[in-house]
Amino acid sequence: MSVVTRNRTVEPVPAFAEALERLRGEAAGSSGRALEERAAAFERFQALGVPTARVEAWKYTNVSSFANRPFGLAPRGTVEPDLIIPHFAGGHRARRLILVNGRAVPQFSHLGGLPAGMTVRPLAQVLAETPELVERSSVNDEPEHSFEALNRALVEDGAWISLNDGVALDEPLQIISLLTAGESAFMTHPRHVIRLGKGAKLDVIMTTVALGQADSLMNQVETIEVADGAELTIDRTLEQGQGRSAITRSRYVLGNRARLQQTNAGLGGSLIRHEMEVRLRGTHSEAILNGLMMPQGTEHVDTLIRVHHEMPDCQSDQFYKTVADGRGRAVFAGKIFVHKDAQRTNSYQKNDSLLLSDDAEIDAKPELEIYADDVKCSHGATCGDLDPTALFYLRSRGLDEALARSMLTFAFTGEVLERIKDESVGHVVRRMILDRLPGGERLAELG
Amino acid sequence: MLEIKDLHATIEGEDKEILKGVSLTIKPGEVHAIMGPNGSGKSTLAYVLAGRDGYEVTEGSVQLDGEDLLELEPEERAAAGLFLAMQYPVEIPGVSNMYFLRQAMNSIRKARGEEEISAAAFMKAVKEKAGVIGVGDALLKRDVNRGFSGGEKKRNEILQMAMLAPRICILDETDSGLDIDALRTVADGVNAMRSPDRGFLIITHYQRLLDYIVPDHVHVLAKGRIQTSGDRSLALTLEEKGYGGVLGAEFAEAAA
Repeated sequence: MSVVTRNRTVEPVPAFAEALERLRGEAAGSSGRALEERAAAFERFQALGVPTARVEAWKYTNVSSFANRPFGLAPRGTVEPDLIIPHFAGGHRARRLILVNGRAVPQFSHLGGLPAGMTVRPLAQVLAETPELVERSSVNDEPEHSFEALNRALVEDGAWISLNDGVALDEPLQIISLLTAGESAFMTHPRHVIRLGKGAKLDVIMTTVALGQADSLMNQVETIEVADGAELTIDRTLEQGQGRSAITRSRYVLGNRARLQQTNAGLGGSLIRHEMEVRLRGTHSEAILNGLMMPQGTEHVDTLIRVHHEMPDCQSDQFYKTVADGRGRAVFAGKIFVHKDAQRTNSYQKNDSLLLSDDAEIDAKPELEIYADDVKCSHGATCGDLDPTALFYLRSRGLDEALARSMLTFAFTGEVLERIKDESVGHVVRRMILDRLPGGERLAELG
Repeated sequence: MLEIKDLHATIEGEDKEILKGVSLTIKPGEVHAIMGPNGSGKSTLAYVLAGRDGYEVTEGSVQLDGEDLLELEPEERAAAGLFLAMQYPVEIPGVSNMYFLRQAMNSIRKARGEEEISAAAFMKAVKEKAGVIGVGDALLKRDVNRGFSGGEKKRNEILQMAMLAPRICILDETDSGLDIDALRTVADGVNAMRSPDRGFLIITHYQRLLDYIVPDHVHVLAKGRIQTSGDRSLALTLEEKGYGGVLGAEFAEAAA
């Protein structure tokens, strides 16, 4: 009898250790105590290893190949302004922080005239001066995964956004994160911290765009705190081409009567994984997470959400739509935890999918774990093809089949589009969707 | 112009014939009404003519201006000049009514090798036709049929028909779910389109619509065949005596 050993993790190549060596004394917060913490995080990364499909949370998304890829640190430098300007969103009065390969570029950023009590800084400055503030987070409930540990070891920069109690920014704040083209494989580990004090209000636009071709890994970690009575909206777009991978881990914590509304359009890329953990830690709070995934070709998009209702009288809503074409693969795993004290919880989760090709795959895994007795929870996942009646209706009006299919696919995504807060981001996402539809350019005047 | 000869059709994958030899010729300028009890094959006839998937023509032919219609895809039939106003128009969220109309017009023009309509000419035409049919600006700007009332949906169908200016118009139970005012507006829209080179096939369960759109010929379809034909008075007789009274007891509709 033979014994087959199947590993749950893969040991990473030395490239990661080399990256840490290169950052020593160079990057912000890479000496003294801060360096010790980086080293400790790196040890945790090595101990955790890179997960294989044997780990439940990574069952459908194979990242083990990342362990063997000799990613170098992302090249320094910046890009021409005319490559940045087309990605401006939020109107001409929006404030902007520009990052290139995960590092802030102050000369292109526009952060003037912020209200008193609001700070937007490159995270590197905070890491250099007061690194303890970055880790002050109370959002570290679920265990760190290896990429998160890797981020802590190799972080160089990111966005630091903080609003004191009662502070509101009337215009959106846009974080544009650009990834450059490159010959050799590279990685970047940005870290964003967003903190809203009591009653603060902020609309954030997070625009991430890969320019041209490269084999790159963006491994981003975010901690987002929304205190009592504060309101945060986030509109996200992620445009990643072939060869581009993005792993994002976002942790949110909401106080009493706080509100979070996020709409996430990460349509495709070689490997996109966004893991979110939301903690409703006060009463009467609300968290809304919307999203759209549209993998095609050989793209892979994975969304993993865990919403924790810790306190009574909160609401949460997960609303995701998926369109998979070609050999594309989409994963949606959403879990609602209703803790013992969280009476009168209203929690919803919906994932509707369109499977446009026989070779595409969608894995939906809705889960509920409820320990309170007075709750309303629902989850639903649907998966199907385009409605033949609707298809016939359009064709009977003269539209050819390809156009009719594209129009109906676009219509399917409409409910997510409508939930985007900022109108200009809505236009961007519309263009991103149409770019993915056969004959989409013929639908450009739509609406 | 539209010539249906001995048309037999089944639902794909089923043996049961729904149309069992329908023959009908519509000449330019004529309005034909097809009446019939539930389950007689009326809607199947409409769908087979428009080319909906899921039906199989087992025998017979359909020609539009000499062209074999059954060989064509639904969009090719539209380009050839066939229009079906549907009983249950489909909602298309995220696509504005106005945009959809223009896309449909241009698709048909393109298929015919014609120039696309200019934005200005389109706007002028749509305002004019929408006015006649009672489709307001608000409906034009809304998503196709989304949240429309039954009457608004039917009016919208007639607006599409008016804009696409087909050779042959098929109206499938357009009167169902309409109150008397909406019925009148829809009928006015249809009557405004009557012309010596356009034919109409009006499918209806009740003769009410035919008070407003007066047909040249009335046919009674039952059990997959046209059982009898006549002029307008046939519709009135049917109203009075019922399908059983006209066709014989075996055709009587079961009491609802």
